[in-house]
Amino acid sequence: MTRDERLFAYVDGELDAADRAAFEAEMAADPQLAAEVALHQSLADRVSAAYAPVLDEPVPPRLVAMAATANDEASRGARLGLPAWAAMAACLVAGVLAGRLAWPQSGLLVSRGGDLVARGDLATALGAQLTAEPGVVRVGLTFRAADGRYCRTFHSARERLAGLACRQGDHWIAEVAMPFRPGPTPDYRTAASDTPPAVLATVDRLIAGAPLDAAQERAARDSGWR
Amino acid sequence: MVELLPRLRRLGRVLARDGADADDLVQLTLERALARRAQWRPGTSLASWMFRIMKNAWIDESRSRTRRGGVFLPQEAGEGVGDTGAEALDARLALGEVERALARLPDEQRAAVALVLVEGLSYQEAAQVLEIPAGTLTSRLVRGRLALAAHLQETAA
Repeated sequence: MTRDERLFAYVDGELDAADRAAFEAEMAADPQLAAEVALHQSLADRVSAAYAPVLDEPVPPRLVAMAATANDEASRGARLGLPAWAAMAACLVAGVLAGRLAWPQSGLLVSRGGDLVARGDLATALGAQLTAEPGVVRVGLTFRAADGRYCRTFHSARERLAGLACRQGDHWIAEVAMPFRPGPTPDYRTAASDTPPAVLATVDRLIAGAPLDAAQERAARDSGWR
Repeated sequence: MVELLPRLRRLGRVLARDGADADDLVQLTLERALARRAQWRPGTSLASWMFRIMKNAWIDESRSRTRRGGVFLPQEAGEGVGDTGAEALDARLALGEVERALARLPDEQRAAVALVLVEGLSYQEAAQVLEIPAGTLTSRLVRGRLALAAHLQETAA
């Protein structure tokens, strides 16, 4: 290994214990080397920090729908005894394309004509559940969009999905859907709720006025979200 | 697979340099992964497998762009390479300092840096994703990071 290769291997944690100890001894005796290590350590941190926010951006629905379709095909393949794609599937959402509706699904979203439509537990929760009521899917907040539609945020720890859907006709159409990482991840434990920042940003974009209070929410539900 | 989307988008952002192009690259990756799903071996890393598909899709895309550019845009030949291209990109995207410095790296060095520093892969994993020997990976990493440090010091100076 060249001097630089060793330096970067040290910064990247790629040296074994003996080589690491030897390298640290050299650093202690060579301030120039120690300074270079510090420079490249901070550079590595800057590079990783520069791209970290991408992880919290909303994923475009077309991509969610495609990956969801992959999961769907996966479970189908497994049932037919085809290669074990099922293990590969995260089984977060299962997309159903037209013509495959007969297949039993456990997914929360179905891709239909470019829209992500809520189904199963998600459709049930959005239609019937009040904010903070327990369930596989939990509803965060309910509000009216500027165009008059009722919209609701949701997340499901079990299905690892979070998002925001608005009522259109008899369906809830997801405006944003993204992987939900349950657990004490600081990014996701905002003061307000378990709602990911990208979903909150979508709320800000759509909301007209204040979120519904409990009485307004109940009234909206009881009148079928019209 | 849905769970991997944020990481695929992040890697795509470093490789393609542009947000919209990055999502097109993710889409292409998903299409290929779906078509070739029988080739994935259970027990191996799904992330690494998909990163490799993305790397190959990205190489194919870049090649076909270069070809198209060569055939249809002869006057602009050369504009997409080197510092001139990077500067045009800077202006269009208003990238941050680090993104700008990374965008100036040659593709193969950028890919190595992306996998190790952005995605946090080990050298061995990164070499497998890029389908190159370990020694080639380390030399690309070294050259890429020395260049990155130089670019960033330039902007700081």
